[in-house]
Amino acid sequence: MLPPELLLIIINFAIGLIITISLNIEVGLLNIPQFGRLLAVVMGAIIAAAVPGRILAATMGYPWGAEYADHMYNFKIVSEINRALAVNPALSIGIFLLTLAIAAAVGGLMGLLCAYPALRLKETLGIVLLAFGDLAVTIAWNYEPIVGGTTGVFVIDPFIFVGTQLRFTVAALVALLAALAVYAYAELLVRSPYGRMLKAIRDAEIAAGIYGKDAVKARKQVLVVGGAISAIAGALWAFFTGSMKAVTYTRLQWTFWPWAFMMLGGVGNNFGILVGVLIYTVARFLIIVYKGVISAVVGISPEWLEYILVGLLIIAIILFRPQGLFPEKPVYSLPKRRIHEIISRVERELESRT
Amino acid sequence: MLDLLVKAVAYSSCIGIGAAAITLIYNATRTFNFAHASLVAWGIYMVFTGVYLLGLSPYAFVPIAALLGAAIGLAIYFGVNRWLLRAKASMVNLMMSTLGVDLVLFGVLNIYSDYLIATYKVPAKYFVLEVRDPIIELGGARIRLVGVVAPLILVALVVALHLFLTRTKVGVAMRASIENPELAKISGINTDVIYALAWAIGGALAALSGALLSLVISGYTAVGMTTIVSFFAGAIVGGLFSIFGSLLGGLLIGLSEFLGITLLGNTLGGWVYAYRPAIPLAALAITLLLKPEGLAGFVVKVRE
Repeated sequence: MLPPELLLIIINFAIGLIITISLNIEVGLLNIPQFGRLLAVVMGAIIAAAVPGRILAATMGYPWGAEYADHMYNFKIVSEINRALAVNPALSIGIFLLTLAIAAAVGGLMGLLCAYPALRLKETLGIVLLAFGDLAVTIAWNYEPIVGGTTGVFVIDPFIFVGTQLRFTVAALVALLAALAVYAYAELLVRSPYGRMLKAIRDAEIAAGIYGKDAVKARKQVLVVGGAISAIAGALWAFFTGSMKAVTYTRLQWTFWPWAFMMLGGVGNNFGILVGVLIYTVARFLIIVYKGVISAVVGISPEWLEYILVGLLIIAIILFRPQGLFPEKPVYSLPKRRIHEIISRVERELESRT
Repeated sequence: MLDLLVKAVAYSSCIGIGAAAITLIYNATRTFNFAHASLVAWGIYMVFTGVYLLGLSPYAFVPIAALLGAAIGLAIYFGVNRWLLRAKASMVNLMMSTLGVDLVLFGVLNIYSDYLIATYKVPAKYFVLEVRDPIIELGGARIRLVGVVAPLILVALVVALHLFLTRTKVGVAMRASIENPELAKISGINTDVIYALAWAIGGALAALSGALLSLVISGYTAVGMTTIVSFFAGAIVGGLFSIFGSLLGGLLIGLSEFLGITLLGNTLGGWVYAYRPAIPLAALAITLLLKPEGLAGFVVKVRE
C-alpha cells in the first residue's frame, strides 16, 4: 500500500498525462484549437458512472432505469454491486475493461461531433468546442436520470476485490499503466508515417494535399483518437474517486490546465509534456502539503496563490519561451545509428566513384 | 411579469455592453479576451466595495469600476498583448495569454475578497446587491432603477461609439488600423496607441457591464467564469466583426436567457429553468455552425 501523498501524485500525474497527450495529438500534430477537451473527459466519466453499474444492476435484478441514478436507491444498489464484485475478480476486471472500451467509443463519437465544426470554422472553432464541453456538463448536472444531476452518483468499484485498503493503490497504478501505454502510443504515432503526414498537413496543408494527403479525413481521425483517449482518462478518474458529480468537471481543470501543461512542456513534444505534467503535479502537491507554511509566510490562501502562479506561468511561457521547455524536434523514423550507417555508406560509395 | 421584464432588459443591456468589449478587442488585436471574465467580476466587486464599505449608492462606483477596467485593459496590453503582437504570436497563444491574465486577476480578486471578509466582516464571498438598488416610479409602475439606467447607458454607448468611430480622427484611425494595419501604419497612424486605446475601451466596457450586472445577478468571485459564456455568445451571435452587431447580439442573448426560458417554462414545465445556462451555449454553437457571420451578416447582405 502506498502512502496517500504518493497516491495523489501518481493519480494526478497519470490522468493529467493521458489528457495532455490526447490534447497534444490534436493541437501539436494538427493544430486544432481544442478548447473543448472537457467534453470527451466528462463523457468518459459519465459512461463510467452510468453504464457498468446499470449493466450489473440489470443482470442482478436491481432497478436500472432512472431509479438507478436516484440518490435514494443509488447508494444501496452500488454497495450491493460492490459486495458482489468483491468476491468476483474476473467479473470486476471484465466490467472494468468493457467500461473503458465503451468510454473510448463514446469519446471517439464526441470527436466525430467536434469534427463537424472543425471542418467548417477556423478562428472561432476553439470557442464552439468550449461551448460543447460546457453544454455536456450543464445537461449532466441538471438531467437527473443519467448521473443523478446535482446529487451525483456513486461509481461501482472494480478494484474492490483487492480489499478496501489496497484499492486506491491499485486504481492509481492501473491509471499510471494506462498513462504509460498512451504515452508509448503517442510516441509511436509521432514516429509513424501517419504522424509525419499529420505534421506535413499542419505545416503546409496545400503542399500535403498536392501529394494526395486528405486533410479533412486526417482531422476527423485525429479528433476521434483524441476524444477516445481523453474519455478513457475521464472513466479512470471516475473509477478512482468512486463517485461522479457533473459540477466537478470544469473547463478550467479539464481543458485549460492540460493546455498549460502542454505549453509548459512543449507543444508537439511528448517527452516535454511528460515533464510538464510531472513538474506541475509535484508543484501542486507541494503547495497542498505546505499549505500552512505558505499561508503563514505569504499571508494569503495557497489556493489563490496557485491560480496566480499558473496564470503567471502561462504568460511567462508564451512571452519568453513559446516553444516550451522541450521544443518539438524532428523525429527519426529509424534509430540514429542506422541513419548514420546509411549516411556513411552513401558517402563511401560517392568517394569510390570519384 | 413587469419585474421580470425589467430585469431581462437590464441583464441583456449588460450582456450587450460586455459583448461589444469582446468584439472591439478581438477586431483590434485578433485576441479573444478570456480575461473578460475577471474584468466583469472586478466590476461587480468595485460596486460591492462602494456599497458595503463606504455606504454609497451602487451607482457611485460604476464609473470607478469602468476606470479600473480601463487601467487593467491598458496593463494587459502593455504587459502582455503588445509583445505578442510584435512577435506575431498565433491566435491560440494570444488567447491563452489572456487566460493566464484571467487566472491572475481571479486569484487577486479572491485574495481581495478574503481580505474584505477578514478586515471588514462583510459578506464578500456571496452577496446580492439588487436590494440596494433604489426603486423608482415610472408611469405608475414601481421598478428598480437599473432597469432604466442599463438600457440608457447602452443607447448612450451606441451613440458615443458611433460618433467616435465616424466623426473623430482617432476613431477613423482605429477603424483604419483594424481593417488594414499595414496601410494604416504607412499613412502615419501609430497603431500601438490605437491598440492600447482599444484595450482601454474594451476593459472599461467589460468592467462597466460587470458593475451594472451586480444589480441584476448575485455576486461571487467566480461570477465571471459563469457569465462569460453569455458574453461570448453575444459577441458571436452579433457577428464578431461589428461592435454594434455585438451590442445587439448581447441584447438578444440576454433576452432569450431571461424571457425565452420563462416562455419555455410556461409551455414545457418548470424543469426547463435549470437549463438556462444551456441557452447561450446553444445559441453560440448554432450561430457559428449555421450563420458564422452572425447578425452583422444580414446588414452586409442588405447593403450589397
